[in-house]
Amino acid sequence: MDIGEGLMMMGKFIGAGLAMGIGAIGPGIGEGRVGASAMEAMARQPEMIGTLTTRMILADAIAETTGIYSLVIAFMILLVV
Amino acid sequence: MNLNLTKSDKIFLGVISGGYIAVLIYMVVTDYKFQLEGVGQRWIYQLPFGEGPLSRVNPLTIIMTWVVMGLIIFMVTRVKVFKIIPGKKQSLLESLLDYVYDLVKDSVTRKEYVRPIFDIAASLFLFILVSNIIGSFPGINAFPTENGGVTFTILADTWYAPTSDLNMNLMLALFVFVMSHVYAIRVKGLKSWVKSFFEPIWWMFPINIIGEIAKPISHALRLFGNIMGGAILVLILGYLVKYFVLPAALWGIFGLFFGAIQALIFTILAIAYISSLIE
Repeated sequence: MDIGEGLMMMGKFIGAGLAMGIGAIGPGIGEGRVGASAMEAMARQPEMIGTLTTRMILADAIAETTGIYSLVIAFMILLVV
Repeated sequence: MNLNLTKSDKIFLGVISGGYIAVLIYMVVTDYKFQLEGVGQRWIYQLPFGEGPLSRVNPLTIIMTWVVMGLIIFMVTRVKVFKIIPGKKQSLLESLLDYVYDLVKDSVTRKEYVRPIFDIAASLFLFILVSNIIGSFPGINAFPTENGGVTFTILADTWYAPTSDLNMNLMLALFVFVMSHVYAIRVKGLKSWVKSFFEPIWWMFPINIIGEIAKPISHALRLFGNIMGGAILVLILGYLVKYFVLPAALWGIFGLFFGAIQALIFTILAIAYISSLIE
């Protein structure tokens, strides 16, 4: 392995790590906020827990989307290119 | 907790668990190793004529799309006779479609468009749900090899879900996009539809166009990323542990749970995109 190939591998690994690590911050904050609000609402109205749980999972899955994008980008950097 | 299982339920559960145990024995006997060679690669077939992107097809996507459509048609023809007192399959189907119908009825304000939008939404929901669920069972998959050939893996990976191909998802999202604008033209008329792009003020036109184009792209990439990312993640985790037990649990989580949620979200967003344009 010459130095050019080594530099390319290094760039790939660092890039994939950064893509996943930075990309996971946003969805983490978003899902945390969704969960916190849902918990508050559940404590206020315990009879709505069933509906609130469903809606919370849906909102989580939408907030997760940007994290999934960065996961796909990380896989593409590692495996495809 | 008291489980009331009929004989056919026991046979069904027995076949499923027996299948998993048989796969486990098969993998132990043949000294199977998870391979990471063709991960993220697609089997692409070059048609004998033409050049460029339209001359290549993705055969596995086409085959599995027809398999999923055949499964849905088979299910529909099996429960054709609807009884007043529903059985198990009928009540499952009715509660699923009733949920989708309530979603459409809540978000669409014009009563005469509830039924056609429900047809679109339910078709999308059933197709994506079945193809995501198919992607959570071990089956046949194909990977390209180095020298242009194809290797078929049996029971090493899940069935190839057609929704893990971006072309399929982009087609579904573009279908929703085109249908939403067709409905918008029919409801508002051509003149006020064109005018809606120059809303609040005329120089917002490029921003409105970009906003419209971003809808199908994010719609398609969301489903694609979840299904393909889940599949690759399960494969890599399976490679790390080299046992069959963990992938089975992960296939259950990623295929059944996330697959059902993503099918529901795709449907909800399709309903929202269509109904926001026909207010």
